[in-house]
Amino acid sequence: MEVAFRGMEFRRSGRLVLALQDLGLASGRVTAVLGPNGSGKTTMLRLIAALERPERGEVLLDGRPCRPDRETRESIAYAFQHAAFLSGTVRANLDLALRLRALPAGERARRIEQAAAVCGIEHLLERNAHRVSGGEAQRANLARALCLRAPVTLLDEPLHGLDRGTREALLAELPGMLRTFATTTILVTHEREEAMRLGDDLVVLMGGRLRAHGEKGQVFRSPPDREVAAFLGYTVVGDAAIRPGAFRVGAGDFELEMVVEGVADMGTHLEAWGHAGGTLVRAALGGGSQPAAGERVTVSAPGQAVVRWADGAGKG
Amino acid sequence: MEALWEGLKEAVRLIAEGDAELRDIALRTIAVSGTATLLAMLAGVPLGYALARGRFRGRTVLLGVVNTGMGMPPVVMGLIVWLLLVRSGPFGGLELIYTKRAMVIAQFLIATPLVVGFTAAAVQALPRDLPDLLAVLGASRLRSLLLLAREAQLGLLAAIMAGFGAVVSEVGASMTVGGNLQGNTRVLTTAIVTETSRGNNNRAIALGIILLAMAFVVNLLLTMVQQRRAAGR
Repeated sequence: MEVAFRGMEFRRSGRLVLALQDLGLASGRVTAVLGPNGSGKTTMLRLIAALERPERGEVLLDGRPCRPDRETRESIAYAFQHAAFLSGTVRANLDLALRLRALPAGERARRIEQAAAVCGIEHLLERNAHRVSGGEAQRANLARALCLRAPVTLLDEPLHGLDRGTREALLAELPGMLRTFATTTILVTHEREEAMRLGDDLVVLMGGRLRAHGEKGQVFRSPPDREVAAFLGYTVVGDAAIRPGAFRVGAGDFELEMVVEGVADMGTHLEAWGHAGGTLVRAALGGGSQPAAGERVTVSAPGQAVVRWADGAGKG
Repeated sequence: MEALWEGLKEAVRLIAEGDAELRDIALRTIAVSGTATLLAMLAGVPLGYALARGRFRGRTVLLGVVNTGMGMPPVVMGLIVWLLLVRSGPFGGLELIYTKRAMVIAQFLIATPLVVGFTAAAVQALPRDLPDLLAVLGASRLRSLLLLAREAQLGLLAAIMAGFGAVVSEVGASMTVGGNLQGNTRVLTTAIVTETSRGNNNRAIALGIILLAMAFVVNLLLTMVQQRRAAGR
């Protein structure tokens, strides 16, 4: 199912929260919506779910405007950022979601078992939903959304607040879960790594406006301007942006002079950091001697890791 | 201690003998305060919910009014209702003054702010996203409200207990608008005042003990329901 925004504006207390002139999110793909806090990401999901109503324009599901009616609700599964449950067991919570969609008992039981198996919560089904850990609650939250098998699945920061181990595990498992259950998925995150690992397409929102949209690799390799590049982790120096992790200490295609302010042992490698042309730069150290603080060194990046904009295009 | 003991013995004797006047007063108390609490529930629970969840102008002021109402002296509420219902008052034509209905109205106005306030607190304590969650899952408005009421039931039962406790124990409003008419508007609290003023201390203490026992039984029943639900969580 395709999700589209046409001439859409949403305001809260008179303040513009989100404006999407013309955006179509392709059917059957995972779109990661990336943006800093307050960029309108969650509002975008709430508009699709008809929890908010646009002041102007439309939000469309396969051409039909989203409204707080049965047809829109049944097209959508939504996992909120903060997993909320009713009192009762995890199974009862999943079952209620399916009962509200008027599914027969046998089908409900089958879907719960399958979603629980895929999301790794089989052992939690009979536990009180209010007494599971943060990571378990996030999994149960996902399972509840996925077992609905809705044409559109909305996930708001699905890895929010998880410890590193659980986060890594879910980051690895989530694409498989989404393939099993969901068709069109729109996933909100403020973490670039999550967006890149989970999404097929990328939408970048900043200040309530669409700043980039397209296949994730393309958006990442060709950020439209400096601000988006900086948000994607690029080091922006003048009219150039250097892909994250591309700087090395030593000569190369794109060179800068950096005054070393410190050297950090990153475990896998050493990293020198300092300022070059007023910008904070981190550069991996190869072999050779370790520079001292205050020393002036040359740092460089390979040509393919550097993005340059035509005059004015990168001003953001 | 001696007086209390005598009162207790008197209470047991009155109950054992099935004192007709006492039985009527006790039943009237339950009827008046029970009706007032029931009406306060019907009005106060939706109002409390709207105050907790609504985002409208004047919400904070309204919450302030409710919180003030929660501490309103019953005798002041009685005075207001008396001024409204007395024959020369704006609703004097309804001829409600010195009737059980007038007492129900006054007690309803005393209990409602308590029910509203406790309900609002109970609803605000629920996870913020629950109404939205139920909406996106496809629950109808009524189904959502029923599910949310089930979630907030511990607080809602506390609201009912607070409302009933307040009206069954108040004397000022019942005396002012009911007139404490024997066989008609006399309830346990006003009967205690009457017996005390007549010097019938034992009978007054007995009535007090019966009032306490009655409040205890009602609250015990509600607490049992509340705690059984809590244990099931």
